[in-house]
Amino acid sequence: MADAPAATPAAAEAFTRGEPISVEVDRIEGALAGLWKEASRDAGGAVARAALWNIVVATRAADLERTKRTVDELAPLVPARVLVLVEDPTAEKTDEAAARVQASIESNVVARSGGARVVYSEEITLRGGVAGDQHFGGLVRALQVPGLPTATLWLDPTMPEALLRRQLRPATDRLVLDTGRCTRPRQLLEIDRCADLARGAIPVADLGWLRLASFRLLFAGLFDPPVGGGPLGGARRVKIEHKPGAEVSALLLAAWLASALDWLFASAEPAAPGAPALFRFDRAKDGAAAGSVEITLTPSEGACGTSGIVAIELATADASGAESAYSVRRAEQNLATISVPIAPPRSMKLDSRTDAELVLSALGPAGADPLFRRALTLAARLATFASAGT
Amino acid sequence: MTEPAPAAASSNPLPNPLRQGLSEERIPEPATMVIFGASGDLTKRKLVPALYSLARDRLLPARFAVVGYARKPLGDDAFRADMRKGCDEFARRRPVDEGLWNTFAQQLFFQEGDYDKPEAYAALKKRLEEIEAAHGLPGNRVFYLSIPPSSFATVVRNLGAAGLTTEDNAGPGGKPTKFARVIIEKPFGTDLATAQQLNRDIHQTLTERQIYRIDHYLGKETVQNLLVFRFANGIFEPVWNNRFVDHVQITGAETVGVEGRGGYFEQAGILRDMVQNHLMQVVSLTAMEPPIALDADAIRDEKLKVLKALRTIPTAEMDAHVVRAQYGAGSISGKPVPGYREEQGVSRSSQTETYVAMKFFIDSWRWAGVPFYLRSAKRMPKRVTEIAIHFKEAPHLLFGRTGEGIRPNVLAIRIQPDEGIALNFGSKLPGPAMQVAPVSMEFRYGSSFGVEPPEAYERLILDCMLGDGTLFTRADEVEASWTWISRIHKHWAQQAAEGKVQVATYAAGSWGPEPAERLITADRRAWRRP
Repeated sequence: MADAPAATPAAAEAFTRGEPISVEVDRIEGALAGLWKEASRDAGGAVARAALWNIVVATRAADLERTKRTVDELAPLVPARVLVLVEDPTAEKTDEAAARVQASIESNVVARSGGARVVYSEEITLRGGVAGDQHFGGLVRALQVPGLPTATLWLDPTMPEALLRRQLRPATDRLVLDTGRCTRPRQLLEIDRCADLARGAIPVADLGWLRLASFRLLFAGLFDPPVGGGPLGGARRVKIEHKPGAEVSALLLAAWLASALDWLFASAEPAAPGAPALFRFDRAKDGAAAGSVEITLTPSEGACGTSGIVAIELATADASGAESAYSVRRAEQNLATISVPIAPPRSMKLDSRTDAELVLSALGPAGADPLFRRALTLAARLATFASAGT
Repeated sequence: MTEPAPAAASSNPLPNPLRQGLSEERIPEPATMVIFGASGDLTKRKLVPALYSLARDRLLPARFAVVGYARKPLGDDAFRADMRKGCDEFARRRPVDEGLWNTFAQQLFFQEGDYDKPEAYAALKKRLEEIEAAHGLPGNRVFYLSIPPSSFATVVRNLGAAGLTTEDNAGPGGKPTKFARVIIEKPFGTDLATAQQLNRDIHQTLTERQIYRIDHYLGKETVQNLLVFRFANGIFEPVWNNRFVDHVQITGAETVGVEGRGGYFEQAGILRDMVQNHLMQVVSLTAMEPPIALDADAIRDEKLKVLKALRTIPTAEMDAHVVRAQYGAGSISGKPVPGYREEQGVSRSSQTETYVAMKFFIDSWRWAGVPFYLRSAKRMPKRVTEIAIHFKEAPHLLFGRTGEGIRPNVLAIRIQPDEGIALNFGSKLPGPAMQVAPVSMEFRYGSSFGVEPPEAYERLILDCMLGDGTLFTRADEVEASWTWISRIHKHWAQQAAEGKVQVATYAAGSWGPEPAERLITADRRAWRRP
């Protein structure tokens, strides 16, 4: 382990290039101050350091590369002090060493098109062994930039929940999850438990929910005037096509529809792996059931972007029983074809945002969607039926 | 693929429950936009690129159409090709997405027609109804008048006569079930009398709620941020008054000359071109009282009060308070540029001002005794628009000679370019001595927010489609602004009639003429170098 680095011009240059520099845990702030000072001298004036958020990212060592990539992509989108907490049970062999936390600091530089570096955000990586994570809570509290909100990115559903519950939750102003990283539908139950830790006091965002945002927007737009919400009252069947392995995304989309339309879950037909899953809901109307709706989740191989959703089709019936279809189907090049009975099909733009862009969205108003919590709880319930044995 | 036959939609549809939780995405109702003057530069450079960027950002409704209208014979395909060139060159989101463009272009149509012939509007109406029926559009319409101001009233009258601006009030809260809105480009009148006449003319056809007078300055992020900065932060509003503010400087400087528009500029001058509209809006947003709500009329009511409180400059003092000048030959960005009178379309004996500097007061409790210095010009050393709030000095300076570095605090709000806010204050220099040096604390949009701000036209077109008039000027605002500005023009006209015109000159690339310096140095103040 290195001592606090001497703030030499060479060290400052390496730092502002974004290279990691090892430091003692109790000298992080001092080392940062020294390196910024030297960097300012080197630049002939104060360099612009900016932070709108403290962002805490909890990750496993095996996933560190992906996490770092997301943090680097996030730097130009939202200036922040980023604290990366790495749980690395293999890092140290002895009990004493396992309880130690190693630290490194680096800057994330945003350059203009001409190459000039204009903004520098800070990234602090703390790596703990088996017992090291008991220190994470205290270190996060000590290293938070005062006066800024703190978002905790809890993107790996397999991380030990205790770290979030005991150490990070008290320091968190926004919790960001990622249902998109669930490898099995039943992991939605673990995500739902993590979301429960917020106890309604802090907003909970989900990158998986946000990946579905443009699909939800397009589908919702089918029922804008002049169509209006009327046909939704006559919904009969919904078919959600999803990429194999993206059942979680499909469950969340189904749960969104049911939650927004106040459909009550009635029953499910467990599906064999790879086969469609079927859920039945009752359409509530003035407190009384007014017909049922079937939602089928079907694996499909079409274009699906990062959301995993290929298409959603809704069949409705009017009072005479005549059926109409409304659909959004993903196509190549991030386009989707929308179909409604009153107009020819039309292509619209969908998005396919990077994880960093989704995090940015999660830190804004879209990351405090109250409907998400209802939908997540329902999706977790549906997950228990989704696929036999998973 | 077989296209389904258009089906009838409900005339009064039920609310859409799926919009719950998606409300932060401000997506308007399906509509058709008709652009008058569609063969002009604005359509190609700004309007259609703005619509494309909105589509790219998924902010346009799924069902949407654009109908270009102009005298020039141009078919749908030629119009689409022309607009594609415009998007390739000017759209904020480039390169143009081929897949999106293919579908976007299918929503572009062109209708040839005169502005003054009623039968042309009957043909337009028929075409709109065909497009709307084929594309499931409900009949919501926005008419964008990107045409010579002399045609505004004629077009509005003909639109009304053709039944294209009729709204019912059958929706919830008396709102129309189908809207018809008209966006009117600047200039809105050339003086008070013409602005009043134009308001009277268009009000014969449209209600004020249907009229959207566009001023693209109001679409800029920093101008909108003025409201947030002032009214969302507890620390600024208490010092935003005559107890703490010494004076306010507003600068609107351009490096460009008349850029081939000499004929237009000869009639306009900088006072009409920049001050009456853009900078008066900036003044009103800077000086307004907190509105009672964040809605269009509450905000515009407060802006109007500022414009009405502008102190009338007595004729005898006009020349002491308002300086005008013309640029002579000089240098911009290291290149020689000609003087104004050498520009194409400009009279060799022109008296039109390319520079104006003025000092004025706002007669209100908040601003009593606080001078506002405003300047706007072409061929300045740099392009910059900013508001600088100069605060009063500390009441008692403790630092004697060691405090020579102390300057009054200045809060500078940069509207363009490099939008942001900077606060200057004094700080102790490190070391044993008590020496003070000015330092600047800066916030820049480009540094703090990675998200690229939308073009002003994107924001304003979207707002109009959403029915939000906050960033558009109301009839009474326009007239109040002209009331004050027209007195200056009247004074200048009187001088011209008496052969007493004295227009100073300044070298292109300088910060203005000597009389403008005297205007402010006489008060023991100095123009800020932005």
